[in-house]
Amino acid sequence: MQLEFLFAGFAVFWAAIFVYLLMLQARLRGLQREVDRLEERLAEREAEADAAPRTVTR
Amino acid sequence: MSALTGLLRGVYGWWWTVLPPVAGVAVMAMIIGALVVAPRESVEGDVQRLLYIHFPSILAAYGAFAVVFVASIVVLWRGDLRWDAVARGAATVGVLFTGLTLATGALWGKPVWGVYWTWDARLTSTLVLFLIYAAYLLARSMADELDEQAARFAAVFAIIGALDIPLIMFSVTWWRTLHPQPIVMRGLDSPAMPPGMVMVLLIAFLGISALAAWLAILRTETEWLAKRSATLRATVDRREGA
Repeated sequence: MQLEFLFAGFAVFWAAIFVYLLMLQARLRGLQREVDRLEERLAEREAEADAAPRTVTR
Repeated sequence: MSALTGLLRGVYGWWWTVLPPVAGVAVMAMIIGALVVAPRESVEGDVQRLLYIHFPSILAAYGAFAVVFVASIVVLWRGDLRWDAVARGAATVGVLFTGLTLATGALWGKPVWGVYWTWDARLTSTLVLFLIYAAYLLARSMADELDEQAARFAAVFAIIGALDIPLIMFSVTWWRTLHPQPIVMRGLDSPAMPPGMVMVLLIAFLGISALAAWLAILRTETEWLAKRSATLRATVDRREGA
């Protein structure tokens, strides 16, 4: 009877750590992808701005 | 200043390399020590082995909340949002380990006390700590990543919340509680546990502390990345709107 509680305690502990690590890894990957995509988009906008003809007002 | 920053970066890089293997080895030693090596407690039986994850978990949570406390003071003092990310990273790990302390305590309480939960001063004040920092994380996640005022309000909340920790620590001496009195060390020279148990407990403390520190660093990296993403998104929106 006592071994069931001991097993449950260790199982809950390691399951929670494992699930938390998986969630953290998924969020890190998602954010890294978003940062890469935004950096690409920013570089494109800067390239477009450099290529656009400049109007000079006098 | 740049030398200090360099030193901090060096220590951070070193921890990043050392922590995962230390945590892995210590945690494996802890599991073997707790389930095989440590002697069986004569009154409580095998369920007492839950102490080897229960007690180090709450110490890891206290450590995480101490980091939240210091980082929150720096947020208020310097208004640096990088420290807000550190506070959020540590608070998440603190909440996780407080939750695990409550869960393992409940699973120990059922066979020993006959109930999973009782409104004892130690248990209730620990539940309050869990709820305070869960509320902190919830409130901070609802505000914008780059909102400095929200970070300041959250920092004040986190500092006030830390006042619950001494209350938890002294609750067993201030009030008559069901929770056991401090048993690991009654005094510096008179441990209340056999040396075999103390040794396993020290290894468990090392393993769980290293694991908590590693998780807190990972979580802080995530928060920094989220802030970078929010800054980039704002820049792209400005460029596309212009």
